[in-house]
Amino acid sequence: MSLNVQALRKQYRSRQVLDGIDFDVRLHDIHAIVGVSGSGKSTLLRIIAGLETCDAGDVVFNDRSLLDFPAHERRVTMLSQTALLFPHLTVGENVTLATRTRSRKQAEHWLNVVRLSDRYDAEVHELSGGEQQRVSLARALAAEPTLLLLDEPFTNLDPKLKLDLQHFIRELVKDLGLTALLVTHDREEAMLMADRVTLLEAGKVTMTGTAEELYEHAPGFGDFLMIDGDLLSSSRVTVTETVGEPVRLLKKIYRFGQCFGEYQFEGGRTVILPASESFEVGMTYQVKRKEEKHA
Amino acid sequence: MIRQILIICLMLIPFFSLFLRIPTVETESVTAMANTVGLTVILSGVNVWLSMTFAWWLLWTESRWRNALEWLVFLPLFIPMLATLFGLYLILAESGLIGTYVGVMISLLVVTLPYSIRLASNGMAVIGRPLLEQARLLPFKRRILFVLFPLFSRTMRTIALFTTVILLSQFALIQLIGAGLIPTVTTELYQSYAGNNRNLALSNTWMLILIPVLIYFLLSVMSRWTVRILKGRLQ
Amino acid sequence: MLRSNVALTIIVSLLPLASLIFLGMEALGTDWGALFTDETWRDSLFITLYVVGISTFLSLVIGTWLARVVVQKRWRFTSAILRIPMFVPHIAAAYLFWLLFSGGGIGWVEANERNYMTVILTYIWKETPFVFLMMLGTYEQLNRGYVEMAKTLQLSRFDQFKHAEFPFLIKPLLDSTWILIAFVSFAYEIPALLGVTYPKLLGVLAYERLSTGLYLEATEPYAVALIWTCLVGMGVLVSYILTSSIRRRIERGVRR
Repeated sequence: MSLNVQALRKQYRSRQVLDGIDFDVRLHDIHAIVGVSGSGKSTLLRIIAGLETCDAGDVVFNDRSLLDFPAHERRVTMLSQTALLFPHLTVGENVTLATRTRSRKQAEHWLNVVRLSDRYDAEVHELSGGEQQRVSLARALAAEPTLLLLDEPFTNLDPKLKLDLQHFIRELVKDLGLTALLVTHDREEAMLMADRVTLLEAGKVTMTGTAEELYEHAPGFGDFLMIDGDLLSSSRVTVTETVGEPVRLLKKIYRFGQCFGEYQFEGGRTVILPASESFEVGMTYQVKRKEEKHA
Repeated sequence: MIRQILIICLMLIPFFSLFLRIPTVETESVTAMANTVGLTVILSGVNVWLSMTFAWWLLWTESRWRNALEWLVFLPLFIPMLATLFGLYLILAESGLIGTYVGVMISLLVVTLPYSIRLASNGMAVIGRPLLEQARLLPFKRRILFVLFPLFSRTMRTIALFTTVILLSQFALIQLIGAGLIPTVTTELYQSYAGNNRNLALSNTWMLILIPVLIYFLLSVMSRWTVRILKGRLQ
Repeated sequence: MLRSNVALTIIVSLLPLASLIFLGMEALGTDWGALFTDETWRDSLFITLYVVGISTFLSLVIGTWLARVVVQKRWRFTSAILRIPMFVPHIAAAYLFWLLFSGGGIGWVEANERNYMTVILTYIWKETPFVFLMMLGTYEQLNRGYVEMAKTLQLSRFDQFKHAEFPFLIKPLLDSTWILIAFVSFAYEIPALLGVTYPKLLGVLAYERLSTGLYLEATEPYAVALIWTCLVGMGVLVSYILTSSIRRRIERGVRR
């Protein structure tokens, strides 16, 4: 086990924000924590980062308790909703600051990794939102983290940029062999990016599993199924509702090179589905909704 | 907790010696008291009026002189007060205003207005343009009564308080521009101190401390009461 | 009405500048050689620089630290108490400190002594709340995300302050510094009450030479006032120019 969150509790005044959270994150995995606003997911991330304290429980990473160390000694870096690049520094200086030896060479390397090597001397305000987020990622990576925390880093981006960056970050994290914890309210984002997902509801873990397991068992995951005679082979799902008229499949996008892909249908509908299913472009399919089961 | 107590003690220690001595109500001159109160009321009113309107104008103007004028009104903050006073002494002497209330009022306005404008601008910046933009859509009277007054009552109170404190701090200004003809509690205190009249100095110090406190409470009650009445009219 | 108010405000704001012109005209007849070699003025200048330097520096450091702690720890009561000295007029503050240090009070430092300790303490007590309030607004509006980001980037505590706090304090610190210097360096009331007969602070010496019959014809106080204003003005100008690019950069790039 890599990261082990044990019976974590946190209370704000009379409100129990985290109520005995338990889950494990495997080494080199991208693990998503999914929950609605107020479910406690951001608090959980902040406790792991060392930005907040907990009332009880422990966070163990590679057999040492992270809680024994202040935030700046945990080697846990974070990518948040806003890039928060230090405005008095240039892009390159922002990244250099995070490197252990304050090395320009290393900073250039990380900017190269995020494909912004030509923006070393640019000022922060000259970058677009997506570029700023990429610099923020380079900066987080330059600090040589053992654990990367992603706190809804795609929230403020437009849909196209969001998809690009999701893909980019997943590939990068996998290439570098990092362990990452992603916090999001977006279930599709979790299914597409994460190897494993933990569902959080009102401060409690309701389910942990792979994206496929959640697709089949968790409420709200894989809302739509495409059925054309054959039910999805791996599915133990009960279909309850037919949605609209049959539609033609326009495009298959296996953006993340894993078990789920994005399917674009006529009329603009996009559906996240198992990549293993043999849907064919040009064929017409009927969209159905699966039965909600509570885990 | 210990740190907090220490800080509070350090801040309050100077009052300690004052509380040890029982004040006697000693006022040598009723004129000094009347002058102080009169100047405070008029100066605070003028400061609130001018600073709030100027800050409001500054917030919305699209004039190309905006930045220059902003600098101009804040610049006096960086000019030593006594230097301004010496220059004003020369100007007012030319205009025959030395030793007059008008001369003293003008000088006091010059030294207090930059602070007031700064406070007014900060107050407006805290509330922000988007909210105030909404207020601009309302008719003039309703905008002032139901939105701007309740929103800025605290800022106006602070401006009045600051003006009072700066006024009460002025000995050199009132003495020089007033040519010694316009006594205030401050000039009395200085003279009683210089003349070694401990009891008078003590009672004047009490007065200098109590006047801002009284003004603070008076303005707080007034603004709360007015806001409550205004809210009542909306029910 | 708004326009006439604005015009009136501009006229009032022009008066200090006009007064500098009058100062300049009056100072024309000054024997500059005599002024610069006058030991009384020179000693006054040194003691003024010493008092201004220490009291301004300590007020800035203490005021900023207090604002930081009060915001971080959410000390509401302490925050209210810290404002109190601001509402005590300077002359009353001087008298409070005189009471405190003259015979009957604490008594470990004389009220009027050559090192100007009581003057410095009074200024610190009076000006720290001013700096505190200036910095409080900045700290309350400061995006805590920057500090948190600095922490997660594994920066040391000093670097966290240097990169995630200090850049945002530059503007209010600069404003406070020059307002304090302009105010403390050429004032009368506090050093007149708590100072000594020799050396006097510049403001006290200038005012006394101007208002005492003995020096009534002298143009020196005007010349000193003008020179001092020019020095402060140059300091303001140079410091604002030197920091203009970084301040602009911060203003454009900051995320609230």
